[in-house]
Amino acid sequence: MSKTALKMQDTDTGEVCIVSIGGRIDSSNAVDLLDRLNVLLSSGKKTILLDFKEVLYLTSAAFRVLLVATDEAERNTARIVLCGLLGQVRELFEMGGLLEAFTVHGSREDALAKL
Amino acid sequence: MSRPPGLLYSVEETPPRAILLISALQHVAVNSVTLIFPVIIAHEAGLPLKQTVEFVSLSMFALGISTIFLCAQWKFVGCGYLCPAGFSQIYIGPSLFAVHLGGLALVLGMTAVAGIIQIGIAPLLRRLRALLPTEIAGLVIAIVGLSLAVFGMRFMLGITARSEVQPIYLVIAGFTLVTMIVLNIWTKGYSKLFCVLIGIVAGYVASAFAGIVDFSTLVPEGGLSILQLPKIASFGWRFDVTLLAPFAVAAVATTLRTMGDVSNAQRLNDMDWVRPSFTSLAGGVAANGLGSLFSGLVGSSGVNSNSSSVGLSNAMGITSRNVGFATGVAFVLFSLFPVAAIGFAAMPVPVMGASLFFTSAFVFTSGLQMITTRLLDARKVLVIGFSFAMAVMADIYRDVFANLPAVLQPIFGNSLVLGTVCAVLLNLIMRIGVRQRVTMKLHAGPVNRDTIERFLTEQGGRWGARREIISRAIFGVVQVLEVVGDSPDGSEVEASFDEFSLDVTVRYKGAPLMIPDRKPTPREIIASEEGERLLAGYLLRQSADRINCKASGNAAEVQLHYDH
Repeated sequence: MSKTALKMQDTDTGEVCIVSIGGRIDSSNAVDLLDRLNVLLSSGKKTILLDFKEVLYLTSAAFRVLLVATDEAERNTARIVLCGLLGQVRELFEMGGLLEAFTVHGSREDALAKL
Repeated sequence: MSRPPGLLYSVEETPPRAILLISALQHVAVNSVTLIFPVIIAHEAGLPLKQTVEFVSLSMFALGISTIFLCAQWKFVGCGYLCPAGFSQIYIGPSLFAVHLGGLALVLGMTAVAGIIQIGIAPLLRRLRALLPTEIAGLVIAIVGLSLAVFGMRFMLGITARSEVQPIYLVIAGFTLVTMIVLNIWTKGYSKLFCVLIGIVAGYVASAFAGIVDFSTLVPEGGLSILQLPKIASFGWRFDVTLLAPFAVAAVATTLRTMGDVSNAQRLNDMDWVRPSFTSLAGGVAANGLGSLFSGLVGSSGVNSNSSSVGLSNAMGITSRNVGFATGVAFVLFSLFPVAAIGFAAMPVPVMGASLFFTSAFVFTSGLQMITTRLLDARKVLVIGFSFAMAVMADIYRDVFANLPAVLQPIFGNSLVLGTVCAVLLNLIMRIGVRQRVTMKLHAGPVNRDTIERFLTEQGGRWGARREIISRAIFGVVQVLEVVGDSPDGSEVEASFDEFSLDVTVRYKGAPLMIPDRKPTPREIIASEEGERLLAGYLLRQSADRINCKASGNAAEVQLHYDH
């Protein structure tokens, strides 16, 4: 497996389901992320925290998946929250003007304190 | 630009008056240590006591004006950061050579010439960037740190001509150093801020008790005036073309050190610092040259930005430019009082040693940090490793190098000059054979992201390209190939690099890529894949510094340009 391939790991703290994401998110694997989020939403999770700390970069396909999943979550009275946007990943969110489209916190600890 | 944690007063901020004053005095104290270099030159020139005191007064005057030049933010002069001037050991080798050849007047004349050379280099810095890259400036700073530590240790031990250690020096230096370390690490507030100044005062007191500081021996017969204007240009000037080479080398070495110090001062004010501002660097180098020209004309030796002072501002968390101006004014004022010249000239040797040794740690690690901001391939590793080793050799094999022809002595007799010359020459040689343009073919089928990442990362390493730019280029290529889809004949990625920019061209068979001017809304992105394509084009336009799409027949290409 490539060092930069997409990695996802769930941690359920009870109220919040944390998904730690690593590697790159692009058109080849964005659907895997969407499937994972759909599974969590359909299992009744109401708050999903996506930790991007280990993400290298994400392409337009990943942004679309995140927007679709966030839309789906809102329809199910759930929410998807983002944290750990650093370096190039944060720049890409800023460049696309997409920071406002999501609920974004600084670190995982910040996010958990506020959720 | 984001504020680093621990920074109490940034370059644009002014501390309260008391803190400003004490900070400036601390910089005066740290930079006064470098007065040892003109004192050494005066000693070698055989100046009588009265003239030595005048020479030190002139040196303080030159230091004050040079500090103001360096910290200023004028159009062509000044780096705009807290980067005070000090006398430099870089000039010691050429100056001692000049003293023996033509006396103090020759030192002053050639120092002025070196200043003019440096002023001439300043506007060319951007063009010379490939020859003087950031990692070499970092190397120079690290070598300065090392040589400060060597000087410091020699003074701390009080090593005599017969290589004997003076135990009382070691006790006083140890006491001074421990005071500085304890205050810096385990205390907060003013005692942490002014650890060096407090340590120096403690060292003076300890030296007085030990009887190794005696100001009376420095007072000339007939006593001292309370106030006396420095006797400007009282030593005259001489010039000698045979000394042009060593003084030109010193000008280049001080340029590199200034670049390193100014870059370091910029970095201390910006946690996101990745590359230096060339306007600030050129202003700093011009100011340094002007400082050396001024110093040579009024009657002292060559100046350089003082890495110890930048290290001190790092330790204190105070990088206010106004502290620099206050330091400059304080030096000018002190130069009017001969008693101050005696006070500084008589700083006990072990106290000097402890100050140098303490600040050398901050200088050395700053240099290492600058080196590691670059991707280091085997070529750069060899340039840095060999040059650092050569700098160390200059100290270890001093006796062996002393047998070399006299004209080479100024280079081989000084670790900093030898390390710098070695780095610049090796960097030139190692550039031979670095391919500036490389191409990679990608087969038809799914986008092979691993191959693209490996290709650009490895090539970026060979070129010494910044990681951040390579990451942006990887994103750009992957994003382009995702949008254009599967090209029936595969595609081609060409990358070229020239130190100033990275250009990547993606060639494929198909329709030209559409780059939208406007940002798609989240609704548009969700609604269809067309929205996703609009976002892709928009992200590409934003992430590259320039993007161009061309088509000819059914062949198309996307050119991505990144400033470096």
